[in-house]
Formats: sequence, structure tokens, C-alpha cells
Amino acid sequence: MPKLTIDGQEIEVPAGSTVLQACEAAGREIPVFCFHPRLQIAGNCRMCLVEMEKSPKPIASCAMPAGDGMVIKTDTPQVHKARKGVLELLLINHPLDCPICDQGGECDLQDITLFYGPDSSRFAENKRPVADKYLGPLISTHMTRCIHCTRCIRFLDEIAGVEELGACDRGEHMEITTWIESALTSEMSGNIIDLCPVGALNSKPYEYRARTWELRKTESIDVMDAVGSNIRVDARGSEVMRILPRLHEDVNEEWISDKTRFAYDGLKKRRLDVPFVKKDGKLATSTWRAAFAAIRDELKDVPGNRIGFVIGDQVDCETMVLVKDLATALGSPNVDCRQDGTKLTAAARGAYLFNTTIAGIEQADACLLIGTNPRHEAPLVNARLRKRSRMGGFKVGRIGEPFDLTYPVTDLGAGGQTLRELSDGKHSFAEVLENASRPMLILGQGPLARADGAAILALAGEVAERFGMVGDDWNGFNVLHTAASRVGGLDLGLVPGEGGLDVAGMLQPGALDVLFLVGADEVEAKGLDGTFVVYMGTHGDRGVHGADVILPGAAFTEKHGTYVNTEGRPQRAKLAVFPPGEAKEDWKILRALSEVLGLTLPLNTMGDVRRRMAEIAPSLARIDEIEPAPFGGFGVAGDIGAEPFASPLRDFYLTNPIARASSVMQECSTLFVQGGSTGATGTHG
Amino acid sequence: MLALDRVARSFLWQELITGFGLTLKYMFKRKATLNYPYEKGPLSPRFRGEHALRRYPNGEERCIACKLCEAVCPAQAITIESEARADGSRRTTRYDIDMTKCIYCGFCEEACPVDAIVEGPNFEFAAETREELFYNKNKLLANGDRWEREIAQNLAADAPYR
Amino acid sequence: MDSLWTGTIWPLAVIVFYILLIAVPLMVAMAYLTYAERKIIGAMQLRQGPMTVGPYGLLQPIADGVKLFFKETVIPTGANKIVFVMAPMVTFILALVGWAVIPFGAGIVLADINVGILYLLAISSLGVYGIIMAGWASNSRYAFLGALRSSAQMISYEIAIGLIIISVLITAGSLNLSEIVMAQDGLWYIIPHFPMFMIFMVAILAETNRHPFDLPEDESTLVTGYNVEYSSMTFALFFLGEYMNMILMSAIAVILFLGGWLPPLNIFPLTLIPGPIWFILKVCFVLFCFIWARATLPRYRYDQLMRLGWKILLPFSLLWVVLTSGFLVYFDMLPR
Repeated sequence: MPKLTIDGQEIEVPAGSTVLQACEAAGREIPVFCFHPRLQIAGNCRMCLVEMEKSPKPIASCAMPAGDGMVIKTDTPQVHKARKGVLELLLINHPLDCPICDQGGECDLQDITLFYGPDSSRFAENKRPVADKYLGPLISTHMTRCIHCTRCIRFLDEIAGVEELGACDRGEHMEITTWIESALTSEMSGNIIDLCPVGALNSKPYEYRARTWELRKTESIDVMDAVGSNIRVDARGSEVMRILPRLHEDVNEEWISDKTRFAYDGLKKRRLDVPFVKKDGKLATSTWRAAFAAIRDELKDVPGNRIGFVIGDQVDCETMVLVKDLATALGSPNVDCRQDGTKLTAAARGAYLFNTTIAGIEQADACLLIGTNPRHEAPLVNARLRKRSRMGGFKVGRIGEPFDLTYPVTDLGAGGQTLRELSDGKHSFAEVLENASRPMLILGQGPLARADGAAILALAGEVAERFGMVGDDWNGFNVLHTAASRVGGLDLGLVPGEGGLDVAGMLQPGALDVLFLVGADEVEAKGLDGTFVVYMGTHGDRGVHGADVILPGAAFTEKHGTYVNTEGRPQRAKLAVFPPGEAKEDWKILRALSEVLGLTLPLNTMGDVRRRMAEIAPSLARIDEIEPAPFGGFGVAGDIGAEPFASPLRDFYLTNPIARASSVMQECSTLFVQGGSTGATGTHG
Repeated sequence: MLALDRVARSFLWQELITGFGLTLKYMFKRKATLNYPYEKGPLSPRFRGEHALRRYPNGEERCIACKLCEAVCPAQAITIESEARADGSRRTTRYDIDMTKCIYCGFCEEACPVDAIVEGPNFEFAAETREELFYNKNKLLANGDRWEREIAQNLAADAPYR
Repeated sequence: MDSLWTGTIWPLAVIVFYILLIAVPLMVAMAYLTYAERKIIGAMQLRQGPMTVGPYGLLQPIADGVKLFFKETVIPTGANKIVFVMAPMVTFILALVGWAVIPFGAGIVLADINVGILYLLAISSLGVYGIIMAGWASNSRYAFLGALRSSAQMISYEIAIGLIIISVLITAGSLNLSEIVMAQDGLWYIIPHFPMFMIFMVAILAETNRHPFDLPEDESTLVTGYNVEYSSMTFALFFLGEYMNMILMSAIAVILFLGGWLPPLNIFPLTLIPGPIWFILKVCFVLFCFIWARATLPRYRYDQLMRLGWKILLPFSLLWVVLTSGFLVYFDMLPR
């Protein structure tokens, strides 16, 4: 615990801190460009110079470890002169195009120049131009603005794990480049836009569309995957203009995936904004009254067990509460939130959560990946795994398809056979797990969704038990979800009741008379003649095929909602913009429908719904708190097929209706997944 | 004596006569007003009249959609939407000024980094309907083309004091 | 048949012709009085006045007339329609009929009656009815208050006017207007009766509701007084009536004090100019004084107006009657 004197104030900081962190702890603001707490120290911008006693020149505080007895001065004429000088040098080649720069208004260089910089330029010569680089469809570059802080290089190297950016040449001629012109392949590349302290790297879809000061900022939760990244939705008028990450140390730190960041243009396309009712075999625009009347007429005299509900992947818990109560009121046992047919049950909470927690990964010392590709299923979980891996002493084994996860992974085998061997202790990796003090395993949705999913779950439970993955202060059994609504749905018990049908059963022709698809777009209701299909959702995606009535709902940015992430952490998303056209918040639609059906649910306000939610699942009322779940209750032991385990995601960029409607995501999919060229985007058919 | 003086003044209508004399005197003075539609007073180069969007001499519109005018406008009369043009430059897709909201403070002109939005010397743009006063980009650019000579002169005349 | 023609129709036609001969130029005069008012007040306030319609705005009164003529007549729902429409007509007609006895020159008079001055007093007293009717029929508070003020004001100042006229009458010894004018040959009554002339000028300002006594149409307290509900031609008739009254009152002032059609001095170049021209010039001068007063004086408060009428003008003019008659009796100068 070194003790320093900063501007006459004594302060003690943890060992290993830098002088910069000590200054910040003392409440001194030190301007920085290249320093970033989550990246390695570069010390190349020289903006953080401070004066240190017994040092002939100012020191770069970000790179200087705090030592005992240091005397630091941050407010002396020399420091001011040094800052002014550094800024003047940086501004020599930085163009004065703030008015057209997307960073304008949230630019570090702008702010720091305002407070510490010179007031006029002494540089009359021409500025040095730098050719813009191609970094793919997500990031636009204006490299003349670059001040060579190398944050982007360090992020891609260290956090994202793709060494695709680097610097060429030295001094004034230094350029950040991709070596060869190619798009960044990281699924987290968008974060370098936030990291760039100037406007050199900008969001391409957002380019020139808005200024920071006109955006309405709403703190929300992402639903593109089950991580529940904390995001900020920036909207102007009725339009979401961009999505940025929000700091949450235990979930996403300050990163988000590209899908989270760039899929928002899907919120404006292919939207359902009026109710539709099928007339003479064709869907026609209608009114809420008519749509509800059609449903009421159809539901007349239908017994409860002939009605079914399938719940989609991005449905908020409030809506699921209404679904549950409506199904109960209709007497229907056929409710299922597991669109992909995963064999998880609501009975044992410990068997479907990511028990280690995402932050907990950093404590693990061995990891077994079973049929999962976290890089695509949950990029931020993968980033944590990489972070842990970079700390050293972390062995990762994988059963399933090989894929570059950006950190060293030992491939153990392809399928159930390997898992069986491991549980019997016959496999070589068993030794690693045996020796680890905090081993963990991550079970993906791919194996669980198979017909033998329950058996795989049981076997994974056996493995966990055998290697002591579960103890008093450590739970290393993890299920990695891909759907934002799944854990909430299981917590609320949205699984078939007694004698109820699951998703596959409900989709059998003739199984049901009326089928409600609540935001369910991963199932095909086509060919269900004789079944009256009601689709409630946001996009004209797969779910509307075969629908007889369409009720337009609200996307995650358009309603207040609770989402539970894969760890079991309930978080609340807030309304950023209002739903388009006549679309309504989903829980209100169901509440109104219940009244039309004569089964009025006594949930009139959001407060009522949330009280009811806490009644069903008390853990959902404690926002941002994880209720630890007891270990146990894993599936049913049985035979496991020989097929190799596979990740459920075939295309990272197109996993949900919003992403599928997004032309940016389509372009990424074409480029990165299908290996096409950017010339033809997904929307070109 | 004083009282007598006052009574005398009152009975002799001294104040009234002074007043009448004054108005009569003013009747023959030079008029302070102009015969407006046919005569016009001089305008300062800083006069803030009807808005115009200017162009560069090569015909390229000056506005770069920085939205500073929109941000500074105290009456929130300006609405701008922008995106990258096909050639990659930042341009407005929409530039509207609600002239019924505008208070002609000239902040937009001051905020503009490229002298694109200016308040020209024209103050005779009364219209018969409100709709005609909702100016869009085309109207503003047309104004710019029409008044460019005067605007440029005014800007040049005022430049030393900026 | 013959007697019908010569006895009824022809004289009637002649009278109508004479009436038109007086009324039409009066209308024109009235129209241009509004123009003159705007121009003179404009000049006194260093403004241009109307300049746009015609050269120097000369066609402005016609434009105003056309505009008023084509506007919609709005009759308020709560108004008594008949009285409401009649009120402006009454005002206008009464302002016109007074002209029947005004001599424009020696013998140039429509009705040279012996009780001319009484007739004029009677007509001007009736003028208040138009305003009362308008104020009451409008069914509006502002109009009603305006009408009350107007009637009280007109009655108050008519008393002073009556006493002033008595002073003149006992000096002239006739009620016939032509004879009053002829009695001033050589010495206009403005000279012996100067204080009365000044009081008369003040009183006719009040009688015609002109500045500074225009309280009945005081914008700041009553919006515009008794004619607040009037629009279009009904308003125009009030407007015409007011200006016609101004001209009529000016004519009376000229006849009583400024020697009517007589030239200022009975010397050669002045006598060449015909009487009617002198008459018109003098009327114009008095009208100028009306406008001049409007440009100069601020509006009175109502209590000030009443105090002036009852406590100053009335006693003073009464005193003057006594003085005049005493003087005339004492020096035996009563007209025979």
C-alpha cells in the first residue's frame, strides 16, 4: 500500500496502482488519451504528464507505478505548459472538422483542448492527410483525425483477441491500418468506436445521422443474447439512432457485441404497426377491435387443452406473466417458452443457470465447454473467458465443433462419447479438471435441444459432481443460454403443465385449435391447417407465416420490461421510444385481450404486473441481484446419441427477428458468415 | 402674487396655447417616416432578415449538417436531418425553418462554421398562409441563390468586425 | 293634373335637387375631412399619413368607403335588431337635416326659417338618441357604458352651448341665422364675445365626442364605446354622422362668431370673393382646430369632463349672459 502526496494531499493506494490512478483517487482530473483502465498501458499520448519531486522532467502518470513517498504535483505551471504543448502537437495534424465529425460533442480531444489546450494555432503549414482505411461494414474511418493513441489496436489484441489492427511507420507518418484491406472479423469490433478518443473511428450506420446533444438517452438492457448487456439507447424523436454500452462490471464490463450495437436498424424495418386479420386466405390490415373480435369468435367453445402458447426469445417477463395468467384462465396447460426444444425444465433452477456468474469466470482455473461456441452465443462471456485465459493458469477443454475462440482451447472430442469418457475419468482432460481447485463447465443449448438433451444434461451434472465443480462457495455448473427471455420464462414456470404439450407437440398438425405465438419467430407455424394461429410480435418475420391474426407488439426499446440473463440476474429495460403506429406494449395487449374474452385479468398497471411477477418468482423482484440456486435436479439419465455436439447458432448476425430485419446485420452475415462480398447485401435477395 | 400668476396663466390658457403652438410647429418639420413601399431606409450589413442557405461558387451547398444552428436556436425553429451523401460527404436531407417560430436573433448565422445559413437583407416575405412560412431546404437554397450578391457584400462589409 | 305638377311634384323635385346639392358635396367633404385629419395629425407627429392609394394617398377615403361597403354587417345575436340597425341611421340623418337652415351665403339657404337657431339646437339634442339606441341595442357592456357617457356628456355641454347662443341672440336680436350673420357686418361676434367663442369651441368638441372629450369611444377603457358591435356600413354611418356633426358644428360656430359668409373686412379685394367661399374657408379653419386639438391634447378623465362642463363652462356662460344683457340694457344698445 504505497503512500503518496498529491498536491499536498496524502493518499494511500492499492499496490500496483499507477500514479494516474492515485491522482484520480485523490480527486485530481488528469487528461488522458491513450490510457484506458481495461487495456494495457501504452504511454504514448503524453497527455497525462504530471510533475514529480526529484524528477528533472514531468512524468507520464499513466505509466509510472505509484511508489511510496512520491510527491506529485498536478497543478503547476510546468504541468500546464506540458499539457498545452502536447495538445498543440496533437492538433498540428488534427483537422478542424468538428462540425462534421460524429464524435463532435463527445470527443475527448475537444473537451481536453477546451480545458487544457492552447487558444489559437501557430501552425500555418498544410496538415498531413492520411488515407481512410476499410474496416468493414460497421466502422467508418477518418484516419486524418487519428492521434495514434493505439487504444483500438490494444483492444483488438487484448480484449477481442483478433490481431487485425496495427500501426505502420513512425512519428508523423504513423498510420493505424489493417495490413491488408479487410474487414475486422471480431464480433466485438464496434467497441473500438467508443474507445477512440477522437473521431477517427466512427459507427458506419450512424454516420452523419445525428449529433450527440440531440439524442435522448435511455438506460436499457440488451436482448440480442442471454448475457443481458447493459446498454444505453440513444433516440431522436421516434427513432433509435444508436446503442452504446453501459458500465456493468459483473455483466458486460463496458463492452457490447456488434449485434447489440448495430442491429438497431432492424427496429425500423419490417415492423408490424397495425393489426392484421386473415380474410379470404389473405392477411389484411385491420383494427385492434376487429382483431380481438376475431380471436374471441375463434376461442368460443374451444376447450383449454386445445389452446397453446409458444413464447419467443425476446419476450419480457411482464408479458410472460400475462401469458401465464391468461393460459391459466383459459384452462390451457400448453405453454412453452423453450422455442428451440431445449430439455431444461423449470423444476430445478440450479440446472438452467449460469451459476458461476460471468464475473465468476475470473476465479475459475479450468473450464470445460460442452457443445457451445461462446464467441457467437455470448460474445461477452467469451471475452471474460479470454480475459481469464490471459491471466494465465486457465485450461479450457471443449467437446464439440472446433472454432477459434481467441484463446487456447484443447479439443477433447466431438460428442456424447467424449463426455461419457470424461465422466468416467478415462479422458486425459479429467486430470486437468481433477487438479483444478475451481473447475467450471459451460453447457450450450445445442446438445440440450437434441432429443437426448435430458440425458446430456444429466451426464453434465454427473461430470460436475465428479470433479467437485460444486461446493459451498463455488458453483461451476453453467448453462449458457442464447435467448434473452429463456431464464425468465423458466423462472416464471412457463413450461407445459400437467398433460400439456411442448413446442414440438403444439406444432403437430391438428394438435391444437388455437395457437398463440408470443414473439415466437424461430418456429414455423406454416402448414398448421385447422389451427387458428395468433401471432403477437414486432416484425414480419417467420412467426407471421401462417398466422391468422397478427397483433403488433413492442420491441425491447419500446417498453418497460424485465429480462433475466443467463446468470439469473433480473434487469430492467426502459422505454426509449414509443412503439410504431398502432403497436402496443405486449402485456397491455394481453390484458386487453383477456377483457375481450371475458376473463379480465386483475393486472391493470405495470405495478400490478410486477407484484404478480414477484408472487410467481420472488427472485425476479430483486433487480440486478442473483439468487443462488441449489445444485441438483439434472435431467434424466439415458443413452446419448453419437452425433457430434453443435452450437445452435449457424449465423451469429441473424439470430432474432430484429437482427434479421437489420440490413447492417444482413451485410455482416453476407460478409463474415457466407463469405460473400460487401457488394451485395442480404437485402438484395 | 404667485397665485395670481397661476390664475392668470390658467384663465389665459397658457399651457394649452403652448401645446397648440408646439404641434403647429411640428407640422412643418421634416417627416421622420418614409413612403415605405416606394422609399426604403438604409439597412445595416448586420440586418437580420429572411434566412438563406448559401452555396460555394462552384454550386456546392455550404451546409455540412453540423446542426449547430439547430442546437443554438432559442426558438427551436430549425429542424435538420442528415446522412452521408453518396460521395461520402456530410449533408442535410432536410433543413426546415419554421419562420413563424423564428425570432430573428441571428444565433444560427453566428453558430454556422461555414457561413451557410445566413439572415439576408430581405424582410419582405410576408405570406398569406402559415404553410408558406415553413421553409424547407429548397426554399432556403433558392433564397440563397437569389440574394447571394447582397449577402456576400454584407458579409464582406461586416467581416472586419467579426 | 296641372296643379299636381306645379303644386307638388315640381317643388318636390326642386327641393330634392337642393338637398342633393347640399348633401353630396357634404359627403365628399366629410370623406376628405377624414383624409385631412389623417394627413394633419400625421404631419404633426412627423409621419407621412396615407400615401399609397392614389397620388399622396388622395384616394384613400374612397378606398376606405369601398372597403366598409363590402364588409359583412355583423348583427350580434343578443342585439335588438331593429333598434340596432336604426341607430346609425338616426345619427346620420340627424347630422344631415341640420344643414337645412345653414346659410352658405346671402340668401343661399334651403330653409330660411326664423327659428333656425332653435331648430339647430333641437336637432343636435336629438343626436344623443342615435347613440343611446346604439348602446342599448348592442346588448354589450362596453357599448352601453359608452352610450351612457355620451348622453350625459352631450346633455351637459348643450346647456353651456344654449347659454352661449343666448348671449349671441340678445346681441343679434334674431333667431334667423341669416340675420345673425348680417348683424355681424362690420364687427364679428368673436370680438365682443371672445370668451364665449372659446367656450363654444370647447363645448362643440364635447358635443361631437371629439378629442379631448372622446370618452364615449375611449379605446383604453371601453374598447370603442357605443359602436363596438358595429361593423361595415352600420359603422360607416356612425362614422359619417360624427364627421358630419363636426362640419355642422363648425358651420354654426362660423355663423355665430365668425361672421358667416362675410369677408373679414369690407374692403375691395376681399369683397370680390363670393360669400360661400368665405364661409367654406372659415368652416375649414374651425375644422382644422378640431383636428389640431386632437393632435395636441390628451383625453380627459370623465369626472374632469363633467366638472369642466357644470362647474366652469356653465357658470361662466351664465355670467356672460348677465353681463351681456346688462351691458346692452345699460347702454341701451338692444337690437330693435
